[in-house]
Amino acid sequence: MVDVVTFLDITISGIGLGALYALVAMGFALIYKVTGVLNFAQGELALVGAYGVVILGTSSLISTPLPAVAAVGATILFGIILGILLERVIFRQFIGEPVLSVIIVTLALGGIFSGFIRFLLGPNYRSYPEALTFGFSIDLPLGTSISAAYALAVSLALVVVIALMLFFRYTVTGSILRAAASDEQAAMVLGVSIERTIALAWALSIGITAIGGVLLAMSSGGAGFSIVATGIIIFAAVVFGGLDSIPGAFIGAIIVGLLQELGSFYLEGGSAITAPIIDVKLNFGAGFGEILPLIFLLVVIVVKPYGLFGTERIERL
Amino acid sequence: MPCGEYFTSYESRMGLFRWRIQRVALVLALPIPFILPMLGLGGGNISLLSQMFIFAIAVLGLNVILGYAGEIVLAQGAFMAIGAYATSRMLTTGVGLLPSMVVGGLMAALVAVAFGLPSFRVKGFYIAISTLALQFISEWFFNNSRAEWIHGGSQQQISSDIGLIGPLGDLGGDLTIYYLALVAMLLFAMLSLNLSRTGIGRTFRAVHENDLAAAVLGVNVFKNKLLAFAIGGFMIGFSGGLYAFYIGFISPDYFTLALTLEHYVMLLFGGLGRVWGALIGVGVVTILQDILQSILQSVSAATGLNATSLVSVFFGMIIIIVLAVEPKGVLAALGQLKEYLRKWPYAY
Repeated sequence: MVDVVTFLDITISGIGLGALYALVAMGFALIYKVTGVLNFAQGELALVGAYGVVILGTSSLISTPLPAVAAVGATILFGIILGILLERVIFRQFIGEPVLSVIIVTLALGGIFSGFIRFLLGPNYRSYPEALTFGFSIDLPLGTSISAAYALAVSLALVVVIALMLFFRYTVTGSILRAAASDEQAAMVLGVSIERTIALAWALSIGITAIGGVLLAMSSGGAGFSIVATGIIIFAAVVFGGLDSIPGAFIGAIIVGLLQELGSFYLEGGSAITAPIIDVKLNFGAGFGEILPLIFLLVVIVVKPYGLFGTERIERL
Repeated sequence: MPCGEYFTSYESRMGLFRWRIQRVALVLALPIPFILPMLGLGGGNISLLSQMFIFAIAVLGLNVILGYAGEIVLAQGAFMAIGAYATSRMLTTGVGLLPSMVVGGLMAALVAVAFGLPSFRVKGFYIAISTLALQFISEWFFNNSRAEWIHGGSQQQISSDIGLIGPLGDLGGDLTIYYLALVAMLLFAMLSLNLSRTGIGRTFRAVHENDLAAAVLGVNVFKNKLLAFAIGGFMIGFSGGLYAFYIGFISPDYFTLALTLEHYVMLLFGGLGRVWGALIGVGVVTILQDILQSILQSVSAATGLNATSLVSVFFGMIIIIVLAVEPKGVLAALGQLKEYLRKWPYAY
């Protein structure tokens, strides 16, 4: 029997997780929309963000750590600079190269980032500075409750997502980005500097991804290498949303977060529910929650490859 | 084309070894790997060479899918794991190594075809994404104790005291894995070379270059993509089985995304779509990796840092530099160098 309060609890934390994934997914969709690069290193970039706070804000590497909030700010700034650097140094070389080259380059970048972090800090879980972890939890109506760090991370994620939506809708820079994404040539004719726009898109994308990484780590109290798995899970979100649609990425991320939380609660371990007709306990073993979005991804690719809001491409000879 | 030699028939034009110098090189070079262990090469080097041959089979399989048919498959580790676990399960029935590895290859081919099915509707990076999902699913699956009735335990020992076919041909000796891998690699290299010059290979290339144009010309694109998945998947799975026997122990940790990336480095370094390129890539990258590992290990021991995790950093840099400087691989670069030297000092 499914308990309503538990179900609500799981649903809320699922939506929260989705909001956290949404940041990373939107970073991916933004870059794909503007430059056509499929960034397979999103998970590792989120990892860079998550460990950036560990490096700057705790005394594991540097002797005088920054205050927690300054460390978060510096990490986000670092993400933005990293985005510009990546565009300048690496991705500019690969404009017009086949899809394979770009995919492999992003995979290699992922290897570089995770290897370097492993070199600096080792493979172990690192907890965040105390100012970013909270011991108490917040009570919600109907007897559900979530921990404060999680609530803060999720509400910050929602704030960033809404700010981004407003940015794209109401500012000139946002319009320029949308213009460059929908038709590069026409935007160029109208006087948009594509070079600057692409650099801006990279900076924004990696910046958002770094924020996503920091918040993902914050929601669990510290940074661990499991964040890398975000890189593949967000594909489920982005493909379902339609690859080049930013609101689609957001909706997809929420659904994927829900699937993951519900899957890991109801389909594995002790709380596994029983299938209604065949009367079999649905226990697929530990870690099934993270696999469920991938199965969802495969189903989406087979059934509806262009997603909810994606533009279907018509091929001509 | 060398001086004074002409093709007088279509067969000689399409031959694998077309010129006299190639035949001489074949006769002189082919025995070298066979007599190498007798020349007093150390056990470590023999083991490294065996690993090279095993990976070469997997990279040749990747070459069939990626180089010939142009489908981006990021599930190298998953296919090898399927081959390895299937081989291990089959070995317990006592049918011998060779049938087990064939079953492993067939299992991998089956999964590869299943994951190639989306190519009916989508192409390119969608296949990359779905096979990357397969990689993660397989890592979870082989670690999952609930699925033990399928894979038979996530960590398994493989006895080296088995026969090649049934109880026949005892594989207990030190050098058997070396010769086994060498012969298998030569066979699969022959298969790949022959595949690329037959109609199937040409169809694959047509699908690779422009699948819409190929479809207009009457090629069944979907069927050919699935065929490429099946052939490549079989080779990768077979190599996975051989790798399991080579290590004598299997664990999901051997078959991660890092392995996929490693094989991509090998293939792209050597040159996509060329059998010789794949072989050169595997050789160079394996040796490079071995040297790098030993250097980093000594650095780690000397300084106390975990420098061994920098391997992926170096490989990432190599792959990016290779793709930026010469996307066609080192074989194409060598060809350009040869052409330059032939024309030197006048570039016309």
